[in-house]
Amino acid sequence: MAPAYKLSYFNFRGLAETARFLLNYGGIEFEDVRVTQEEWPQLKEKMPFGTLPVLEHDGKQAGQSIAIARYLAKQVGLAGKDDWENLEIDAIVDTINDLRLKLLAIHFEKDEEKKKTLLETAAKETIPYYITRLETIVQQNNGHLALGRLTWADFYFTTVCGAFDFFFGGDCLANSPSLKSLVQKVNELPAIKKWIEIRPKTEF
Amino acid sequence: MPPSYKLTYFDLQGLAEMCRYLFSYGGIEFEDVRIKREDWPQHKDKTPFGVLPILEHNGKVAGQSIAIARYLAKKVKLGGNNDWEDLEIDAIVDTMNDIKLKLTPMLMEQDAAKKKVVLEAAKKDIFGFYFPRLEAMVEKNKGYLVLGRLTWADFYFATIFTVCESMIGEEILAGYPNLKEVREKVNGLPAIKKWIEIRPN
Repeated sequence: MAPAYKLSYFNFRGLAETARFLLNYGGIEFEDVRVTQEEWPQLKEKMPFGTLPVLEHDGKQAGQSIAIARYLAKQVGLAGKDDWENLEIDAIVDTINDLRLKLLAIHFEKDEEKKKTLLETAAKETIPYYITRLETIVQQNNGHLALGRLTWADFYFTTVCGAFDFFFGGDCLANSPSLKSLVQKVNELPAIKKWIEIRPKTEF
Repeated sequence: MPPSYKLTYFDLQGLAEMCRYLFSYGGIEFEDVRIKREDWPQHKDKTPFGVLPILEHNGKVAGQSIAIARYLAKKVKLGGNNDWEDLEIDAIVDTMNDIKLKLTPMLMEQDAAKKKVVLEAAKKDIFGFYFPRLEAMVEKNKGYLVLGRLTWADFYFATIFTVCESMIGEEILAGYPNLKEVREKVNGLPAIKKWIEIRPN
């Protein structure tokens, strides 16, 4: 019988990796579809808004990586116990996403001079601003990003923070031992460690 | 006794209006704090990440407008009835947020001539791509964005696209009667209509 869940994305870790971590963590079988560049133009039209990732289940489809992660977190016990706890997790995930989007915008800046300045500001001010605050939160939350325990926010941070190094021009967690420790803890969870060993090896 | 909820933002509709709509819709009293731009530097470092809006309740603080809206929606029964329904709402809200994010460079463009060029491209590539799909969703969902009934996604749409429109300075929903109707329907809800009459800005 086919797995109950099908997750479609490109052949990257990218925006789908949080979902893949959650499915593996929960021991939920899923079809890990990786769409090639050749296949994408035709498939694009079939997706609700022409984007990936898309999660399929029970004949229904839903897009949006963070929405999918939030749904899967509830299935595997990594969400909040009440509405305010979920708000706390959502707020930290959206904050980390804000940083990711700021950096992405710089990446796509066409004006080379402007880009150079933006990159300098990102490395000297923006990234440190977020990282120092996240580090404090982890120190105050028993080694986690929210609620003093493992939540999908920890998975989200672990899967996206590698991209921040590129913009920082080095290890952006060099002065953040608690965040570093968190990433290590997530990557060493048995189910995650196993997934990391078997997953397709891609650059991003 | 002061209200148990305090919402802090600038003196604008902006990102906070959908939260104010949700409070009003649910009849939940809230302290509607509006920070003046010139006072912002004093307040900025008191917030978790130097941004607004923030919501305070029971001695705790949380930021992020969409996260706050999702929380309030559950309180006022405009969320999903199960996890997959919540996912469907979240997905459409995030999609509308993608639209807003794509529009931001154009909205922030100071040079009028440049802005006009970028706006024309936006009409074709952004509105032209997304609005027909959203229009079709409303057709399929009996006059609502998702789940065939009123959800906080409709509140997101009504507020955020009104803000975008006022920043663009022209009507962007022309040719999309279903979408226009969603906004009118939301703004016509008795509690919302009353809020619109009394709101400061």
